Amino acid sequence: MREQTLIQAEKEKETGRDVMVVKHLFKSFGSNKVLNDFNLTLGNGENLVVLGKSGSGKSVLIKCIIGLLTPESGIIEVLGQQITDLDHDELDKVRAKIGFLFQSNALYDSMTVRQNLEFPLRRHWMQVTQQEVDQLVQEALEDVGLAHTINMMPAELSGGMRKRIALARTLILKPEIILYDEPTTGLDPITGKEIIQLIMTIQKKYRSSSVIISHDMNCVRLAADRIVVLIDGRCYAQGTYDELKRNGDPVIHQFFE
Amino acid sequence: MELPVKTSEFLKQTGEASAFAGRFFKEAFRPRYEIAEFTRQCFVIGYKSFPLIGLTGFIMGLVLTIQLRPSLIEYGVESQLPAMVGIAIVREIGPVITALIFAGKIGSSIGAELGSMKVTEQIDAMEVSGTNPFKYLVVTRVLAATLMLPVLVMLGDAISLFGSYLGVNIRGVTSFNLFYTQVFDVLAFGDVLPAFIKSFFFGFAVGIIGCYKGYYSAKGTEGVGQSANSAVVVSSIVIFIIDLVVVQITDLLNLN
Amino acid sequence: MAKKTVNTIKLGVFVLSGLLFLIVMLYMIGKNRNLFGPAFVLKAQFENVQGLVPGNNVRFSGIQVGTVKRINIINDTLIEVVMLVDDKMQQIMRNNAIVAIGSEGLMGNKVVNISPARSPAPFVTKGELLSSRKVLNTDDMLQTLSKTNQDIAVVAAQLKIAVQRVNNSAALWAILNDETLPQNLRSAAANVQQATARAAIVASDLQSIIGSVKNGKGSLGAVLTDTSFAVSLHDAIEKIKGVGDKADELAVSLNSVITGVKQDYNTGRGPVNALFKDSSMVVSISKSLDNIQKGTDAFNQNMEALKHNFLFRGYFRKLEKQKSKENRQGFAAQ
Repeated sequence: MREQTLIQAEKEKETGRDVMVVKHLFKSFGSNKVLNDFNLTLGNGENLVVLGKSGSGKSVLIKCIIGLLTPESGIIEVLGQQITDLDHDELDKVRAKIGFLFQSNALYDSMTVRQNLEFPLRRHWMQVTQQEVDQLVQEALEDVGLAHTINMMPAELSGGMRKRIALARTLILKPEIILYDEPTTGLDPITGKEIIQLIMTIQKKYRSSSVIISHDMNCVRLAADRIVVLIDGRCYAQGTYDELKRNGDPVIHQFFE
Repeated sequence: MELPVKTSEFLKQTGEASAFAGRFFKEAFRPRYEIAEFTRQCFVIGYKSFPLIGLTGFIMGLVLTIQLRPSLIEYGVESQLPAMVGIAIVREIGPVITALIFAGKIGSSIGAELGSMKVTEQIDAMEVSGTNPFKYLVVTRVLAATLMLPVLVMLGDAISLFGSYLGVNIRGVTSFNLFYTQVFDVLAFGDVLPAFIKSFFFGFAVGIIGCYKGYYSAKGTEGVGQSANSAVVVSSIVIFIIDLVVVQITDLLNLN
Repeated sequence: MAKKTVNTIKLGVFVLSGLLFLIVMLYMIGKNRNLFGPAFVLKAQFENVQGLVPGNNVRFSGIQVGTVKRINIINDTLIEVVMLVDDKMQQIMRNNAIVAIGSEGLMGNKVVNISPARSPAPFVTKGELLSSRKVLNTDDMLQTLSKTNQDIAVVAAQLKIAVQRVNNSAALWAILNDETLPQNLRSAAANVQQATARAAIVASDLQSIIGSVKNGKGSLGAVLTDTSFAVSLHDAIEKIKGVGDKADELAVSLNSVITGVKQDYNTGRGPVNALFKDSSMVVSISKSLDNIQKGTDAFNQNMEALKHNFLFRGYFRKLEKQKSKENRQGFAAQ
C-alpha cells in the first residue's frame, strides 16, 4: 500500500503535482483554536507563501507539517506519507527530505559552523564518510557565500550571516521541501532582500518546493508563486501577489498597506 | 475545591518533574546512545568543576579545623581534632557542600543552556535533524552529573582533608602519617559508603532538575534566567531533602 | 580532533584520581577493620559481652590485630564471641592467652583485649577457644560503689546513734557542766606540788648522812679512811697491773703478726699466697713456657721454610758459607 503511494508520489512529483496536502487540520492550545479546518496543497517546485498576522498560527502550521507538533485531527500528507501515522524512525526518514529554516536560526551555540552543518548530515545519513561530509559542508557554505566562516562560532557572526548559515544547514541534506519560518524577521530590509534572493537562487539550483511563512510584504512579493492568507485558523483567501493586491476585501488589503 | 495557585503550581511542577525523571529512565536504557556527547558533558560537568570544588573543599577543611580547635581544647581532646574533622568531612560536609556548589555551578548552567536552546528553537532543530533531543541533551547531562558528582566528592574530600591537615599544623605539629592514621582509624565503611552513594543521588537531582527547568523554560530571556535560578534553588532544597532521607535510612540500617 | 583527545585524557585522569581516592580510603579502612588480608578465627565465651557488637576491635597487648566477626548466644548464661584475627598473630599468640572485654576510654566503644599469660604454651590454632576473664565494667564499678555507699550509710547511722547517746547522757553532761571541778583539780595539783617539795628535803638529808660517813666520821669512817694501809694496797695492785700489761702487749704483737699473714693469704697477695694458693698461676706459667716453646719451634720451621725459598736461598747459602768459613778459621786457629 505504502509502496503504491510512494510510486504515486514520485509520479506526482514528476508531473508537477502536489508534494504536500493538508486537509481539515485542527490544532488548539487550551481554548485557543489556532488552526480551525485548515486546507493547503503544495505543488512540485512551487513557492507558496502563507501570509498572516503574528500569532495567527502560521508557525504552528509548519511545525505540524514537520511533526514537531501533533494536530488534534486532520490529514498531513508529505511526499505521499501521512505524517501523523508515522513512528519515530519513519518520521525521521521523511524529515531528512524536509528542510526547516527556523525563525531564530537555531544554530547550536556550543558548536562551530562546521559542526553545525555536520550535525544533521551525520544524524540523518549514518553511512557517510568524512570526505563526503567535508565536501558537502564546503558546497553548502559556498552556496550561501560564507565559506570563510567554517571554523567560527555562531556568536561571532552577524544576524544576516547566521541566517545564511542556518540556510546552509537546511540545504545540506538537499531537501525536496523547505519550510521557512519568517526568514526575514529580525533583519534589516536590505539584508532581508538579500536573503530572499539567496533563497530564490537556491530554490532554482536544487529544484525544491517551499512553504514560506511571512508577514513581510517585500519578501512575499519577491518569493511568492502563490499566497495563502491565514486568518482565524483557516485559509481566508489565496492567489498570486497581484490577484490579492487587487482584491477589494479590506481584511486582505491591510497586508498591502 | 480550588487549590491556591501556588500550591497547584507546586504540585503541577512536582508531577511534571517526576514524569520527566521517569522519561529519563525510559530513554536512558534504549539505543541510540550518545556516547560522544556524554563524554563531552562529563568533561564539562566533571573536570571543569574540579578547580572550584577543590578550592572550596580546601578552604572548608582548613576553616573547619581552625574553628573546631578551641572547643576541643576546652574539653581537653585536642588530639582528636583530625578524627573529628575527618568524620565531619567524609560523612556530611564533603558530599553536601560539594553538591551545593555543584548545584550552583552545574544546575544553573544546565538550566540556562537548555533554556536558551529551547527559546532559540535549537531543541526543535535537533528533533528535525533526526536526533532525539531528550537523549542527546537530557540523558547525557543527567548521567554525566550523576556519575561525576561522586568523583568530585571524593576529590573534594581528599583536598578538604589536606586543608584540614594544614589547619591542624597551624598550631601544633602533627605528622602527615599520624594525621591520616587518626583519620582512617576513626572512619568505617558505614561512614564512607552512604556518603558516596548519596552523592550519586545528589548528582542525579542536580542534573534532572537543571534539565527539567531548562527543557520547560518559559519563552524569552527572562524565562532562561528564571529557569537557571530555580534550577539552583530547587536542586539545593532537594539535596537537603535527600540528605535527610539518606540519614534516616542509614540510621534504620544501623550504619551509623 | 587532537583537542578532543586531550579532553578525554584529562577526563580520564580526573575520574581515575577520584576513584583512586575512594579505593585508597576503602582500603585503609578495610586494613584497619581487617576485612582484607588473611585472617583466622578465634573464639571466647563470656557470661556478658557488655554491648560488644560485630566490627568492634580486637587487641593483643594493646595492638590492633582484628575485629569481632560474630556474637552467638549459646545459652542463657553463655555467649560466644567469634573474632577474626590477623594470620600473622598465629605465630605470636599462645593458647593460654586471656580474653577480656574492655572499653576504649571510660565511655568509648567496646574492645576485646587479649593478653598473654606469660607462661609457656603452644601457639593458638584456628578456631580455638581461648579462656576468658571477667573484668570490671562500669556496671560492676557502680555496684561496688553502691555497696560502699551502703556501708558508709550504716557507719554513719551508728555514729549518729553514738552522738545521740552522748547528747542524751545526763551524767557526762553533769561532769562537763560542773563548775567546781576545775577548782578541785587545781587544789589537787597544789597538793601534789607540796608533797614533791617534802620529798626533796628528805633526799637532801640522806645525802648529808652519806657525806659524813665518807669523811670518816664515826668508827666505820676510821677504818675506811686509814691512808697508809691504803697506799700499800695501791702499790701491790699497781705491780700486778704492770705484769698484766706486759703480757697484754705480747699478746697484741703476736696477734698483729698472725693477722698480717692471714690477710695476705686471704687477699691473694705476696709470695706466701702464691705458693699456697694460686695453682692457676702455675698453670699459666707452664702454659707460657709451652707457648714460648711452640713459638720457637714455629720460628724454626719458618726459618727452615725461608731457607728453601728461592728468594732467600742465596742469603742462607751465604750465611752457611760464612759459618763454615768461621769453622775453618776456628780449626785453623786450633
